Amino acid sequence: MSQPPPPSAGRELANPPSDGISNLRFSNTSDHLLVSSWDKSVRLYDVSTNSLKGEFLHGGAVLDCCFHDDSSGFSVGSDNKVRRIVFNVGKEDVLGTHEKPVRCVEYSYAAGQVITGSWDKTVKCWDPRGASGPERTQVGTYVQPERVYSLSLVGNRLVVATAGRHVNIYDLRNMSQPEQRRESSLKYQTRCVRSYPNGTGYALSSVEGRVAMEFFDLSEAAQAKKYAFKCHRKSEAGRDIVYPVNAIAFHPIYGTFATGGCDGFVNIWDGNNKKRLYQYSKYPSSIAALSFSRDGQLLAVASSYTFEEGEKSHEPEAIFVRNVNEIEVKPKPKAYPTPAA
Amino acid sequence: MIRSSTEQFSRIETTCGLLLRQLQEIWSEMGENEEEKDAALADIEKECLLVYKRKVEEASRCKANLLKEIALGRAEIAGIGSSMGGDEIHSNGRVGENLKEELENVSVQLEELRRKKAERMNRFKEVIDELLNLSFQLGDSTDHLKKFGGEESDLSLHKLEELRRQLAQLQDEKSKRLDEVERLLETLKLLCSVLGEDFKDLIRGIHPSLVDSNTRDVSRSTLDKLDMMIENLRMVKLQRMQKVQDLAVSLLELWNLLDTPAEEQKTFHNVTCSIALSESEITEANILSVASIKNVEDEVIRLSKLKITKIKEVILRKKLELEEISRKVHMAPQVLKSENFSIEAIESGVKDPEQLLEQIDSEIAKVKEEASSRKEILEKVEKWMTACEEESWLEEYNRDDNRYNAGRGAHLTLKRAEKARILVNKLPGMVEVLTAKVNAWEDERGHAFLYDGVRVLSMLEQHKTLWEEKEFEKQRQRDMKKLHGQLITEQEALYGSKPSPGKSGKKPLRTALPSSAMNRKLSLGGAMLQSSKPTLNTKKTTYYDQNAPSRRESTIPNPSGRRNSELPGRLRAKNVPSSGKAVMNKGRSPMLRKPLSPVTSNILNSPEDHKDAYTTKSSPKTNEDNRRTAVPISAPTTPAASVAMSEATTPFTPASTAVKKRLDKEEGVEYSFEEVRAGFC
Repeated sequence: MSQPPPPSAGRELANPPSDGISNLRFSNTSDHLLVSSWDKSVRLYDVSTNSLKGEFLHGGAVLDCCFHDDSSGFSVGSDNKVRRIVFNVGKEDVLGTHEKPVRCVEYSYAAGQVITGSWDKTVKCWDPRGASGPERTQVGTYVQPERVYSLSLVGNRLVVATAGRHVNIYDLRNMSQPEQRRESSLKYQTRCVRSYPNGTGYALSSVEGRVAMEFFDLSEAAQAKKYAFKCHRKSEAGRDIVYPVNAIAFHPIYGTFATGGCDGFVNIWDGNNKKRLYQYSKYPSSIAALSFSRDGQLLAVASSYTFEEGEKSHEPEAIFVRNVNEIEVKPKPKAYPTPAA
Repeated sequence: MIRSSTEQFSRIETTCGLLLRQLQEIWSEMGENEEEKDAALADIEKECLLVYKRKVEEASRCKANLLKEIALGRAEIAGIGSSMGGDEIHSNGRVGENLKEELENVSVQLEELRRKKAERMNRFKEVIDELLNLSFQLGDSTDHLKKFGGEESDLSLHKLEELRRQLAQLQDEKSKRLDEVERLLETLKLLCSVLGEDFKDLIRGIHPSLVDSNTRDVSRSTLDKLDMMIENLRMVKLQRMQKVQDLAVSLLELWNLLDTPAEEQKTFHNVTCSIALSESEITEANILSVASIKNVEDEVIRLSKLKITKIKEVILRKKLELEEISRKVHMAPQVLKSENFSIEAIESGVKDPEQLLEQIDSEIAKVKEEASSRKEILEKVEKWMTACEEESWLEEYNRDDNRYNAGRGAHLTLKRAEKARILVNKLPGMVEVLTAKVNAWEDERGHAFLYDGVRVLSMLEQHKTLWEEKEFEKQRQRDMKKLHGQLITEQEALYGSKPSPGKSGKKPLRTALPSSAMNRKLSLGGAMLQSSKPTLNTKKTTYYDQNAPSRRESTIPNPSGRRNSELPGRLRAKNVPSSGKAVMNKGRSPMLRKPLSPVTSNILNSPEDHKDAYTTKSSPKTNEDNRRTAVPISAPTTPAASVAMSEATTPFTPASTAVKKRLDKEEGVEYSFEEVRAGFC
């Protein structure tokens, strides 16, 4: 049942969580990795020494986490609470609560606010400096058409992807109403949405082995560039087996991106030239999350069953951190064909 | 009169004595008694003693004061001396002879020392003030200095030296920092000029004093901020440089592709030159400014659009070329009919033009290759077709009764008939060879050889069957003639005369009708009329049944064995559904039918043939389609098929039942994996 991961999968971190991994993130300032898990814990790893620096327990499964700076971070989960954790001290404050489990959290450096999305169909903004009770930290509540499945921030833009394939795009400076209301161009349930680091658009993945590349600019010229492609599929007997694409991560320098699916593969894509640059060898279990380090030299891969087939026995959870070679992520502009005479 | 104290003392004694003597004289005059004199004298003594005592006390008090002052003075001297370093005190050389002199000495010395101390303190104050000033400028902490200002415990030269050294250090530090600030500002200026940013604005943002060179702030934080800003700008420069270099590369490629004239290229010359430069080498002003980069970007976009338009033109041209080639070799490639290549699709650019170009190029190559392989066979087919035409003309000619009549051009037709006969004789052989060749070609190629959409082999087949039928027909006619001849001789034997040959004899010839031929997938154009002579017919029928395998039961029970357009509806009705493929040419005179042309159109009408003609060609195409839409995962460099928002509906199996359930119920509520796992639904 348990197969050893291929030797080139990267370093496996010691003390992984004991139940599914919901998300993992590298810090913007160092090689610390924050991992949230269904075993109700948030773990902080120092990747360079492969050591567990801290473990913080919550009241329920932790569904997402993010860094504030090297000394603190935020985590949210199925106990409906939004927490701030100060790592060294091991202190936790509750910034606020939603009415249903909170699925995503992001910290906006531009606005200095924490943004959370929940299955209670709202997105809320919190000011982490509010020391006194939760009532004072909440900055705003914004109702969404459906339960929030994924969020992404870039600059002053927030992209919210919900059930029912809705996508709302907000400007953080004016959250009273969405800047754009869209519908996902893919026909199946949205899994993950991530904005491009250059802030011109976002990538959206679905459960049907497809990723759509979209752009914020509504002009015809920009919208002509949008496209979708199929990925994470296996061809058998003339039919394709499709796998959900759970995670997307953009390389901070090159702008290329990695996708991870329930087929256990991680692919690196060049969005501008529409090519696949690389595929890593298969991981033992579904890819639940991906994150590039701040300089793009490392890629953390969470290999953890994501419950796509319900309750069943599965490989144990593992986190792999692999070194990224330039050839795997550097874009390759197309070589033009010689024009026909 | 100045008298010394001793003189005065003796004078007082003398005066007192005189006064006493006077007193005694007075008393003796008065006659005072001894007691009263004694008492008075005792009084005088007592009073005098008191006065003396008082004076003595006063004097000793003064002396004590003096001593105290001297002691105080000395103590202060010692204090100042120690605080100033101890070498200021000259030893008390002059020891005064009496205390007042001593005090004098001490005060003088003290005065001196105080003055010196004040002087020293001034010097200290100067130095400390400057230190404070500098420390503040440098942003150092000044606590210890302020503390120092209050105390006066150490005013020694040593300490002064120390402070002076510190001062020198700080001044040094300040000048170093000024230099560094200067240097950083220079670098910043250069970076700003390259990037097209406003230098003055930026440095004003860091610290207002930086703008003016005289009063620059040199605190550590300013320096750090300058460092960081330089770092930031350098990053920006790197980024922009990379971007510009990438753009320049694209620009060069596009110029190469589009053969841009040199004047147009010149405006962007500086950009393209910068491709090879490293970060430090890019120093031209505004070369990396936002506006400049945008210009280059816009140019690249414009050229890309141009390229796409050109590609579209090329595609259209190639499409025409493809059509031309196909037409010449009587091919009808499927790809031309596909919607990807319709004019609208090409114009609108829905599919990626470069991909289309590749496709069309490969199509053209394929078609050319196929065309060349078909050439030989095509020639033969042409020849065969002309032969068939000639054959039919010949038949017609043969039927023409007037053919031997001399008239204008009769000799030409005769010649033509001659040639035609030869050709017709060659025909079977031609057909054989052609069939063999087509078969070989089809085996090699793996698909049917089509001529204008029709399978050549089937054409040949039909022709062959027709030809065989005709042969049979001829044979039968010959046999019939023989029989007829026999009959006539018999008749003659019976009746004694021959019936006239000729016209009546012709009818039987024409009535031979192979019943099974009706059931083949042929038009009835070749069908012949049936005679009404029952005896002959029965004979015919039996004869024919021996030789021709009848494919349909309906023909065998038919006693009259007749079939043609005018047959009773019963039989026709039977035949039509069973054959399904036979098309009746009602009312069409069989005489005028040319062997091949109607057959061709009928073949097109018959669904089976239609299927035959197209199945083999289409199946490789669908396989190809399937292969193309399922992106293989193993090869790392496979380009991802880019489908514009209209998604290809590849048949697929969802990987998990959960997904399948979700995909099936479009109307019901959907849940994500996490919701299911959390028991949220």
